[in-house]
Amino acid sequence: MNANVWIVQNLWLIPAIPMVAAGLIALLKQPQRKASASLAIGGLGISLLLAISAFTHVLSAWSSGAFTRSAVNFTWFEIGTTHFQLGWVLDPLAAVMLVMVTFVGLLIFIYSTGYMAHDENFTRFFCFLSLFAGAMLGVLIANNLLLLFMCWEIVGLTSYLLIGFWYHKPSAAAAAKKAFLTTRVGDIFFLLGIVWLFSQTGTLLFYDNGAGAIEPAALATLLSQHAALGLTAATAIGLLIFAGAAGKSGQLPLHVWLPDAMEGPTPVSALIHAATMVAAGVYLVARVYPLMSAGATPGSTTVALTVVAWIGALTALFGALVAVAQNDIKRILAYSTVSQLGYMMVGLATGGVAIGMFHLITHAFFKALLFLGAGSVIHGCHEEQDIRHMGGLRKSMPVTFLTYSVGMLALSGFPIVFSGFWSKDAIVGAAFAWPISKGPFVLLIIGALLTAFYMTRQVAQVFFGSYRGHAHPHESPRVMTVPLAILAVFAVGLGILGTPAWPWFTSFIESKPLALDFAGFSEPGLLPLMAFATLLVFIGLGLGWMLYGRKPVNDPHAPDVLQQASPVVYSWLAGRLFWDELYAATILRWYAALAWLADFLDRRLWGGIVSAVSASFTGLGWFNKSVDSQWIDGGFDKGCEELVTTGGVLAWLQAGRTPGYLRSMLVGLLVLAGLALAIGASLGQVRL
Amino acid sequence: MNSLNYASLFQLTLPETILEVFSLLILLVDLGFLRKSAQSTRMTAACVLGVIGSLAAAICLVCCPQFTSNTAALVSSPIVVAAQIGILLLTALVLLLSFKARFSRNPGEFVTVVLLATTGMLLVTAARDLLLIFIALELLSLSLYILTAFSKSSAQSAEAALKYCLFGGMSAALMLFGFTYLYGLTGSTNLAEIAASLATQGVTPLLIVALVMVAAGLGFKVAAVPFHLWAPDTYQGAPAPVTALIASGSKVASFAVLVAVTTAVVPAAASSQASSQGASWTVLLLTMAAASILLGNLAALVQTSVRRLLAYSAIAHAGYMLLGIAANTPQSGTAVLYYALTYALTTIGAFGVIAIVERTTGSDNLDAFAGLSRRNPLLAGTMLVFLLSLAGIPPLVGFWAKFNLFAAVLRAPSTTVWGLGFVAAALAASAVSLYYYLQVLKRIYVLKPTNEEPLEVSPLELATLVLITAAVVALGLFPAALASWIPLG
Repeated sequence: MNANVWIVQNLWLIPAIPMVAAGLIALLKQPQRKASASLAIGGLGISLLLAISAFTHVLSAWSSGAFTRSAVNFTWFEIGTTHFQLGWVLDPLAAVMLVMVTFVGLLIFIYSTGYMAHDENFTRFFCFLSLFAGAMLGVLIANNLLLLFMCWEIVGLTSYLLIGFWYHKPSAAAAAKKAFLTTRVGDIFFLLGIVWLFSQTGTLLFYDNGAGAIEPAALATLLSQHAALGLTAATAIGLLIFAGAAGKSGQLPLHVWLPDAMEGPTPVSALIHAATMVAAGVYLVARVYPLMSAGATPGSTTVALTVVAWIGALTALFGALVAVAQNDIKRILAYSTVSQLGYMMVGLATGGVAIGMFHLITHAFFKALLFLGAGSVIHGCHEEQDIRHMGGLRKSMPVTFLTYSVGMLALSGFPIVFSGFWSKDAIVGAAFAWPISKGPFVLLIIGALLTAFYMTRQVAQVFFGSYRGHAHPHESPRVMTVPLAILAVFAVGLGILGTPAWPWFTSFIESKPLALDFAGFSEPGLLPLMAFATLLVFIGLGLGWMLYGRKPVNDPHAPDVLQQASPVVYSWLAGRLFWDELYAATILRWYAALAWLADFLDRRLWGGIVSAVSASFTGLGWFNKSVDSQWIDGGFDKGCEELVTTGGVLAWLQAGRTPGYLRSMLVGLLVLAGLALAIGASLGQVRL
Repeated sequence: MNSLNYASLFQLTLPETILEVFSLLILLVDLGFLRKSAQSTRMTAACVLGVIGSLAAAICLVCCPQFTSNTAALVSSPIVVAAQIGILLLTALVLLLSFKARFSRNPGEFVTVVLLATTGMLLVTAARDLLLIFIALELLSLSLYILTAFSKSSAQSAEAALKYCLFGGMSAALMLFGFTYLYGLTGSTNLAEIAASLATQGVTPLLIVALVMVAAGLGFKVAAVPFHLWAPDTYQGAPAPVTALIASGSKVASFAVLVAVTTAVVPAAASSQASSQGASWTVLLLTMAAASILLGNLAALVQTSVRRLLAYSAIAHAGYMLLGIAANTPQSGTAVLYYALTYALTTIGAFGVIAIVERTTGSDNLDAFAGLSRRNPLLAGTMLVFLLSLAGIPPLVGFWAKFNLFAAVLRAPSTTVWGLGFVAAALAASAVSLYYYLQVLKRIYVLKPTNEEPLEVSPLELATLVLITAAVVALGLFPAALASWIPLG
């Protein structure tokens, strides 16, 4: 691919424009709401156009059979002979993500103008959103792990700022802090991985004409280096980077922040905690995939990928299990996101970049749709989030109901027409074909069944039956429902890009030629597997409908059907398997003890040393002062007496007496001459 | 001068000539055509012409073919040209910040003298002959004395100028005395020939005395301890744009000539004989450096006037740069130049802010800055960037300047454990310096303003300050940007 094309050379504009917009919005005053929204939407709109042009550029390179990756690097700074380079890369992976993030982001920005219309900090909200968009796009195009990490941290910062956007709510402030600290745990490992990689390869560029850190030459050195426990350096670094990805993408055991992050405004949950930022971890794994898979041969895999697969599968099942017993509409979706991110990780680990990324893209659309739909429901029910206090909303909110159902069916993997079916099926198929173990596959199909179940439960409680709340639900304004409709179209239509007969997405990501071939369905085992998955989905949907749809609940305070069946299991699931309590009892307690110890040392030990030092300096000062006063009192000439009356040496220095100045300059000159002569004499150069 | 004919001499001094022509033009316009016009019109016309003149000279330097010659009295190497372009740009910035200055009733004369001072700086930077160095330094110094006294209604200004002049006169006399000894010892006024001659003879007490006297003259220009005493009073008393000029362009030129003199009297070769030859000069520089770093940073701690604070901080910065000069390698020379230029840029910005605050509050006390962030957030933001850059906080350019300088000192082959100690002390001292910079920032950002009303700034001044801020940030973010211009080792 020709790197001299305008869009490749100027790819940095895509993140830069929203960032500049954020800076400009920050300068606006609180009442300038329209200006701030226009700046944010306009900035991201331009980025979307640029992203589309980048995408078409990659597309044309692919269709003409040319090389589809191009990187632009430049020297950031030099230390000695080391040139530290930064740069950006445009390849199918980045191009797809750029279009997805800018497009979904733009829809959510527009939706937010309606959702946040009554918030007094409207301008601040759009400033943060724009900054987020810029940083996220920076993550996508970075061709340098450090640059990626910087943008990654800005993304984390904006996530913190937006979760805590309503900081006057203590729960929101706490959730923001929790998110920031938990992801930081992963980021520390990530940073360690970066440093290690740099020390081994001397570069952090991904692609640099064969000299990049994830290109074959560097990977060969990494594979030959041995770290502890029989791991190669490549594996160890891959695992460290994956820890960062797990923090951001809410994988076990660092998932605890994501459900709490729902304290932020709903558009934030949709954009950051469903569609884009949490997918950054998945994207990171995809970006460093050559490193993760270094040394794998057909029929085997690497330690790093095995870990990714198992963590992902466990997370997928865990999220689905917990989602079954939640009552907050956004919390259900949050656990569903945790679960789906697990699917993506398994897809990456067992099927490769394309399979994981395809689910990322389809999920981004239908999960954004679901969150925005949930936002619309919350908005319509006057800030009610508990699904037990909803019901029957299909009549009062028809557009929301229709689009929400589309999202729900896509998430459940309803066959053929919905995109989620194809992307999830590809992952399940890849997990089934994984040579190492069938464990992840089993976990995934149980998760798939539960997904269909909990989504049916949610939709049945929210939209069917009779209304159990106290407000007067109403449909949301056009500015909110139109983005829903657009997202719904994509939640259906995107599936067409990833069917076995026409695997457009896989071919595009892997830059392989593409042809329409229905023989893709006749691969051995594929159709039975699809049928099996479909069957599970139908079982999940049917179970959900049987338990919650057929006999609508009328009393919001009645125990859940599952709770009646098995109170113990239900309480465990409702308590989210007590991860938070586990952390509170172990890590946090240790941490508190450590903090206490540090505090104690600070106050008693270090504080004492500091006081001792300061006391000795004070003593020295007293000594100096007494010497000075003795010296002055002793007096050399009458001038000194005058000095005493004007207040000592310092005042003398500042009194601005020119003769004194000139005299001291001469003294200085003589001292310097004496010193130079003495040193010259001591070195034997000068005979005095 | 023997190797130069008049045509090439004219070509070599074309930038200086352009400046002279523009200064005469300004006088003509101001006294001839605008005599009846309003004060502000005259100031604007003079400043615009001055800015055009300095930019024209800079463009001439960028575009004209240059040639190098080692025996000539004036040289034109890439480093010299880089310093000269930097000086011209700094002068243009000072003039841009002078538009609204109200201290003078003779704007034409003011800008003319500024351009004359700039001419002096350019010549000082390029001169490689003792006589020419002296004459150029005097042109620079005399112009600066006049400029310091320019606020004729202010007693402080006159006092500052008188002190500056007395001090300058004395150190110039000492330096000239030192130059005559050098001439007597070597039989030449050309630096290259002096270097060649010194390399063949031993060290005599006479040479050491000569060197000390030269050090006194140049130490005065860069405000190094113990020749620094004029600096706080002059910084405080002079009109703000003049202080900015003294702290910026004049410093760059003085450090450039100091590098040139050091290269001449300390043979570059690292042989044992050579290193002992230059030992006394190096000792002088190191003593001055250590004293400057220590005294500058400590005295700045207790200042209540921001101008005096910056004056003492300037003394400390001069100390850091003297360390670089003492290291005496090509890398450290360029690192010093880089430091001087970026320091000058930042200081001009800081004095621009001080001038604005002074104009509205009538004082440059720390308390005058209280609550500036609420009165004018953008102005406060620029000051934040300037002060943090002076303190050497990454990612601002001041960090890279310090980093390059100290790295160059540590890499120099002559650096021993002593050099390491000096660098460690300098690093510790720059940590101390953060305290007094933060004292100013604390007033700006934390304390409540005594006067709540917004502080009005003219768009041009604000634009200039934002431009400087952007340069400070951008050069810090992309430290390689200047690499083609000032090659750092």
